Amino acid sequence: MQFRLILAALVAAPLAVSASISSVPGALPDSVGVPTAPAPAGRVSPSNPLPWYRPNHVVLQTGGGLGMIAGGAGFSLKDRLDLDILIGYVPEKYAGSALSLASAKLIYSPWSLPLHDKLTLKPLSVGGYFSYTHGTINDEEPDQYQPGYYWFSTDTRVGPLLGSRLSYALPATASGRSRNLSAYYEFSTNDLYIVSYVQNRRGLSPADILTLSLGLKLDI
Amino acid sequence: MRSFFRTPSVRALLPVAASLLLSSCDLLEFSPNDHRAPESERDLTAKNLAMLAQRPLPAGDTLRFVFTGDSQRFYDDAEDLVKSVNQQPGIQFMLVAGDISDFGFAREMRWINDDLRKLKVPYLTVVGNHDLVGNGRKAYEAIFGPRNYSFVYGDTKFIFVDTNGREYNFDGTAPDMTFVKRELADNSVRRHVIISHVPPQDEDFDPALSNSYVTALREDPRLVFELNGHRHAFSIGEVFGDGVTYINSSSFESRQYVVLTVWGDKQFRLKQVKF
Repeated sequence: MQFRLILAALVAAPLAVSASISSVPGALPDSVGVPTAPAPAGRVSPSNPLPWYRPNHVVLQTGGGLGMIAGGAGFSLKDRLDLDILIGYVPEKYAGSALSLASAKLIYSPWSLPLHDKLTLKPLSVGGYFSYTHGTINDEEPDQYQPGYYWFSTDTRVGPLLGSRLSYALPATASGRSRNLSAYYEFSTNDLYIVSYVQNRRGLSPADILTLSLGLKLDI
Repeated sequence: MRSFFRTPSVRALLPVAASLLLSSCDLLEFSPNDHRAPESERDLTAKNLAMLAQRPLPAGDTLRFVFTGDSQRFYDDAEDLVKSVNQQPGIQFMLVAGDISDFGFAREMRWINDDLRKLKVPYLTVVGNHDLVGNGRKAYEAIFGPRNYSFVYGDTKFIFVDTNGREYNFDGTAPDMTFVKRELADNSVRRHVIISHVPPQDEDFDPALSNSYVTALREDPRLVFELNGHRHAFSIGEVFGDGVTYINSSSFESRQYVVLTVWGDKQFRLKQVKF
């Protein structure tokens, strides 16, 4: 039951953010008005940028070590650099205890290839992530170990990621900002898997340490 | 739809697509603590015991097995160990004295199994402190099996005990003395061998339980020896001067192991092998 509630909350969170934000332009006084003609629909309106603190998109993904399901919001810079903040969840059945994960991903996608009038491919996305896991069974307690007993953190992971993104242009927002619905995949790994591979290049292969995430991103 | 799947090229692609789908499920890791695994990589203790049961040792026959420990992030060495052990004549199984993983992740346990499943003999493990980090205890139970268990082979009972007290904050549950005493009380076999990761003289053993553990072992007339890991160095001796022999295993990266041959009531011979 608790799991269902959390799952529902995770699914609802990005939608709620989306709804609250899309309602904002209507609330803004259009009459303050820019004297120029309104920008044609479907194109970015440079005269109406989002305030810096307002997320550009919402995200929902699975895998990548960041949750069975992870949702959140993110910021974009010049359509190339994305910073996504995610909250993820793994049920007890799959990890031994119910885990909640907070993570941040920074992704750089240098190229956009138009494929079709509505489809755009970002063939390469490179970046990294940081994640913190809450809810492990044997979390280091004060005085449980001497300092340095285990050299690694059981909760905090960092890792690189590499993937691609396919975007579909949706009708622009009322305020004229273009919007995309994108699907992406990312291969990633983490610090401890990398250490394991680097020290055992005969015994392990790069494929052994890969994880995959699949996700959706919706501009708001 | 039917005819689509009957097209030869599509039929040829189906297994490829299926394996891609399977491996992508495996790749879609929810967390490093995610312990899902294909059926063939779960319950490995039970699977290895089933293999052992297919090659029974007649009562009275000499018992011979390889003893090692702490495979922990030493995958290159694991490959070489397997090659070496596969050349040992007349061995019946291999025992690994815990710390199969370094970070308590199921993926690490599966990496080690990828090597050890190439052994010509079954292998059995006891849980180590590194296997209990984070959610390791559930990963170990999923990939291998219970943290306390025993089996009888020939006329010897092997008893596997979780002695990693520090991982439970010395809460009095490890070692489970009820389990230890019940297993040592089994009079239906000729000998007992007990194997655990942290030795009782170690500071990672629950100090409130070390005395009762050592006493239980001393009072068992059937005990041949106690086997440990954790210290990454081979040693043998009567640690408490009470007639009980304690043998500590080498770790995988020290590139040696021992072959133990047991006969009679409590007689044994130990051979060190370097690889």
